[in-house]
Parts: sequence; C-alpha cells; structure tokens
Amino acid sequence: MLTSGQKMFIVIATVSLGFVGYLVFPTMDITAQEQPIVFVTHSGAVVQTTGDVLDPVYTIQEVEFDPEKYLRDFDYGKVSKLEDGTTLREFTIIAEDDKIMEIAPGIFYNVWTFNGSVPGPTIRATEGDLVRIYFINNGDKEHTIHFHGNHPAEMDGIFEIVGSGGGQFTYEFIAGPVGVHPYHCHVMPVEEHIGHGLYGVFIVDPKEGRQQADEMVMVLNGFDTDFDGENNLYAANTIPFYYQHHPIQINMNELIRVYVVNMVGLDPINNFHLHGTLYHYYPTGTDLVPSYFTDMVTFSQSERGIIEFEYEYTGRYMFHAHLTEFSDKGWTGLFYVKDSSQLNTEVYNFGS
Amino acid sequence: MEVKRSSSTKTAISAIIPFVLLAVMIGYVFGPGSELISFGVVIPEISIEKVEFVDSEIIATVRNTGPIAVDIVMADIDDMILPAAIEPDKHLERFESAIVRIPFEWNEGQPYAIGLTIDDGTRFEKRVDVAAPSIQPTIEMISYFAVIGTYVGIIPVMIGLLWFPFISKLSRSKYKFFLALTVGLLLFLGISSAEEAIETSAENLSDVFNGVLLVATVAIVSFLALNYLGEKLKKRAGASKLAGPVAIALMIAIGIGLHNFGEGLAIGAAIVLGEAALGAFLIVGFALHNTTEGFAIAAPMARTKLMIGRLAAMGMIAGVPAIFGTWVGGFVYSPLTAVIFLAIGTGAIFQVIVLIMRWIQNEEGKLSNSSVLAGIAVGMLIMYITSILV
Repeated sequence: MLTSGQKMFIVIATVSLGFVGYLVFPTMDITAQEQPIVFVTHSGAVVQTTGDVLDPVYTIQEVEFDPEKYLRDFDYGKVSKLEDGTTLREFTIIAEDDKIMEIAPGIFYNVWTFNGSVPGPTIRATEGDLVRIYFINNGDKEHTIHFHGNHPAEMDGIFEIVGSGGGQFTYEFIAGPVGVHPYHCHVMPVEEHIGHGLYGVFIVDPKEGRQQADEMVMVLNGFDTDFDGENNLYAANTIPFYYQHHPIQINMNELIRVYVVNMVGLDPINNFHLHGTLYHYYPTGTDLVPSYFTDMVTFSQSERGIIEFEYEYTGRYMFHAHLTEFSDKGWTGLFYVKDSSQLNTEVYNFGS
Repeated sequence: MEVKRSSSTKTAISAIIPFVLLAVMIGYVFGPGSELISFGVVIPEISIEKVEFVDSEIIATVRNTGPIAVDIVMADIDDMILPAAIEPDKHLERFESAIVRIPFEWNEGQPYAIGLTIDDGTRFEKRVDVAAPSIQPTIEMISYFAVIGTYVGIIPVMIGLLWFPFISKLSRSKYKFFLALTVGLLLFLGISSAEEAIETSAENLSDVFNGVLLVATVAIVSFLALNYLGEKLKKRAGASKLAGPVAIALMIAIGIGLHNFGEGLAIGAAIVLGEAALGAFLIVGFALHNTTEGFAIAAPMARTKLMIGRLAAMGMIAGVPAIFGTWVGGFVYSPLTAVIFLAIGTGAIFQVIVLIMRWIQNEEGKLSNSSVLAGIAVGMLIMYITSILV
C-alpha cells in the first residue's frame, strides 16, 4: 500500500502536470468539430477553416454607418425665403462624444459625431444663400464647428467655445466661395477632435449650377484605434474596404462628379487614384475650369477638390490610395460600371 | 474505527471552512452588483507566442495574456490587413490560445511583422527576423533530429565515460578532487540552465507568467521531486556496498538527462526558427560540454568494479533525452514548454550537486578539504572556458 507521503507526491504531481498541460495545450478541443467554412483571399485563393474568419467584409445588415447611403446623401437644410429674396437654409447639428461604433468588423471605437455619424451630414447650399446652423453640444467635452470658407471672425468656431452638456451656438453666414469645403471641430487638441470623427463636408454650388451628373461625396479618413500616433485603418467614407466589397454602381457614359475631402490626420498626405479612365480635377472646386486631367491627385491634410469622369466601358474599376500602406489598411474601393441602355442589366453582386 | 473516521471528517471540514469564508468574501466584493471595486481601466493584452511559415500561409499562435477576455478581429502582415482564419474561434478567455492562419505568399529569408488587432482596436505585433519554412514531423526530419540528438547527447556522454579507467586508478585525494570537479561542472550547467530559462521567458513569454518565479517554482519542485525519488532509490538499493555509488551515478544520469532534454529543446527550436547558424553553434557547444557530463557519471562509480553494461545504460539515460528534446523543440515548440523543461533541468542539476556533495561529505567528513575546493573551482573554470571557446 502507498504511504501518505507517496499519496501526497502523486496528488501534487498530477495537479501540476494537469495545470502545465492546460497552459501548453489549451487549444486542444475534443468536442465535435463544426462544419468547416470557406473564405477567399485577396489573391483569389479559397481557404477552408474550422474556426472563425477574420475578414474586414461588412454585410449591409451589420453596418452601423452606411457608406452606401452617405455617398449620395446631401442635406439642403430647411429652406425659406427672406424678405429681400435671399434663400435661408437652416440646419441643426448636434455634437456627441460618447458613441462606441463598430468601424470595422469587430473593432469598436469611441467616435465623436456630428448628428450621430462620422463624417457628419453633407451640408449643401448655393453661393449667396444665408446659412444658419443651430449647434447643440450634447457631448462631455467642449466642441465647436469651424467652417472653411468666407464668414465673419465670430462665426469661425475658434474662440466661441460651446460648453458640454447642451451648450448652444448659432452659426450664420453667407455661403461662399463656390467649392467643396470641410467643417470640423476646432477645440484643442484639434488632432484629437478630428481623429475621433468631428468633421463633415460643406458644398457651395455656383448660382448657375453645374452640369447634370451622378454626384457623390468621399471623405478620406483614418482611425488611430490604439492611439500610438499611427492610423490603424483608412477608408473612403469611414468603413475600411467597404466599397471594395460593395462596389459603387454607376452608368457607362454618364458624368460622375465626386466631391473628395481628405480628413486623414497624423499622415501628411493622401491621394486618389482611379483605374480605367482619367478625371478632370478642380482644386477646392472654386474654379469652374478644371486644372488637371489626370488619374492621380495628392491631398495634404484637409485639402479637397472635385473630380469628374466618365467610363467608356462597363466592368469593375478600382479607386484607391496609391500610397499602398493606406490601401492595404482599407482605403480602396470599386466602381461597377453598367450599361444603362441595355434593358436586362445584370446587377453585380459581390461574393454571390 | 468509528471515532477515527469522524475525527478525520472533522479535520477535513476544519480545513475547508476558511476556503468557504474566503469564497464568500470574494463573491461579495467582486460579485454581481458590487460597486466596491469599480475604478480603474482594464487593459487587455494578447501575446503572439509563435509564428510558423508553411505553404502559402503564415500561422501565428496567440494567447490572451491579459486580465479580461478578448476577441481577435483582424490580422495583418507588415500592416497589410488580410483575410485570415482563427481556430478554434476568435473569442479568447484568459490564458486561452488560438491559431491564426493568414494566407500569404511569403518569401524565404525576409523579415515580417505579424499584427493582430483586438476588439477595442489595439494592435499587437510580433516581428520575425527571418522567414523560414516550418519543419514538419516527417520521417526524414524525425531521423535527422535523432541523429543530431545522438551527436549532442549520447556520443559525447559515452566518450566522457571513457575516463572511467583513468579515474579508477587515481589516489584517494586525487579522486576526491575529480569528484569535486564534477560538482564544479554541474554547478556551471545548473546556473546556465537557469539563465537560459529566465532568458527564454523574458524574450518570449508574456509578463503575466511571472517568468522568473515560474522558473524558480518549477526548478524547486523538480529538485524536491528528484530528491524524493533519489531517497526511494537508495532505500531500495539496500545496504549493499556497491549500491550507494551506483545509485548516485544513476541519479546524476537522470539529472543530466533532464538537463540534456533542455539542450535538445534549444537546438530543435533554433533549427525550426530558421536560426541555422545558432543551431550549428549549439550542437558543437553542447557536444563539447557533454563529454564532461560523461565524466560526472563515471566519477562516483570509479571506486566500484567496472560494469560496462551499467555504465553504458547510464550514458543512455543521460544522453537519449537530448533526442526527445530536439523532437519537442523542433515539432511542438512553445516558449512555455521550453521554459518549463529548462527549469526542470535546472532543478535536476542542483539536486545532483547536493547528492554528490553529501556523498563527498560522508566519505571525507568535511567539505572544506583543499582538493574538494580546488576541484569545484577548476570544474567551473573548465566549463567557463569551453563556453567561451565554442
């Protein structure tokens, strides 16, 4: 028979081996294997796994911020006429800073928002309109709105800090000059307030209008989700790789106009490269005559412009940052060019 | 009988009561609805413990080494976000680990940074200096490692055993000197094992494992366990005069065997991690070192009749584990296993040292004998010099 010392020895040995075994081989799962699932790599290879797939693909149902909807969503405000005939456009913008949003599949980030989204609403007016913005700060921090463009000093959103917890301010100015401009919070540290998402696009249309086109807005942005001074994710319109997996549908031989605004912080430059055609570029959109005909434009921080192009052929065309680091981290997408003259247009469904 | 049983039940209950109270208190303080400890920010942490390069795929072994459960949500290589698979699943409880498979056409010899991002957006990275195809346990590789293990473990120890006739012809005081020399050799090996274990834990293990304390705990437990086994062995060997030295030699062989397992582990891991130069260096270095181990086994038996069979068996006990070590290191390497085995080896060596010292003391009566002291010093010097030269 075993002595008590021997028993003790066996118990200690078993317990320590069990613990070490758990630490060394915890992934050994003896429960039944689930049905393997399949995913496709960027180079087209098909890979099978019994586990979970890590892939920055969003399905429409999951998406908290819908880049599809944002793309062509223009807010013209509440319109009325003043006695002198001037058009008045009224907007309400509410700032918040406590929202946690899934900015890429599974990645939750504290976004600071104008009207609940990053970017905020695309505000649109015609040159000479009176723009009135009722700003409410429902955040825990101080915020402002600083518009790029012409306005009096006290409407600049720099010194008129709007306090947290319901502070209010009304911005009022005559829309101008013609072009595409950013607006953003200008409370120090500005990089932090912009980095968390307090920005949006302000479009001033010329009185005579622009040529009829399929218009869209692309805000180039990035997120430093671990605060190491380097952006972890980049995108056109917030969600990385979104338009890559959900191509933007456009028509062949139709004029496409994209208002591009670069709001990426931390990195000094960004750029916009288009495949399969070249575009006319209007820096800041202030001139009605294009400056370049190109497929590559470089933007410094908060630099923006209008690009116009048409496709001669149908099919899928990439648009992306030609800084490969940015495109590798999500700033990449596709146009799907359809021939609208054909009746039974085949709708392109990615992944189906 | 009845009385005895009820008293042992009472003992058991009285041992459990404090645990129950402790559990109640912890439940009250940390349990649901408790607001007592709700301050501070909990920082999640994961560690990428191993990176392997296989056909068109990079495989990272990741462990949750933080205080809370996390989800792994994104994988990248050199900041390039890529579709990947995580098995068994992306949710990792504390200390749980998973395999992340990232399909990628990697180039041999190139450095890569493997990044994993968790649900709060924090990215963790592991840099690999040189990508090299990971080694699969094919028959060829298994035999290749066995050959290396033989060169490092068995052959040098056997060569060392050839000192037996030389030692057996020595005078009493010279013999004591050589026995003490063995102590010096082992002392050096023990310290280098401990250093290796602590270094490996510092480089590859997350802080959460408390590397130094893990090494100390495992080494001391291994020391105590072998001590216990050694005593049993001696008792079983009985009073026969021959048994004493043979039992000691056997204990030395077992201790050295455990140590050699650690050496094999280091060699296997170095080859797998693509550090071929380091692997070759380790092979030569360990081979030279290990002849002295043969000497250590031969020394205590030198006063007995030459028993070639037994001597060879001891050589095998000391040498063969090197082969198992290369297999484990080469095919199922994990930094945690490496640290644990190195620490076991450390404990084993120190146990053997105590064994020999006790034996010298029994024979000699005291340890401060000049030939003993000189032997220990010379032993350490020899090891130090061979460690510099190779």
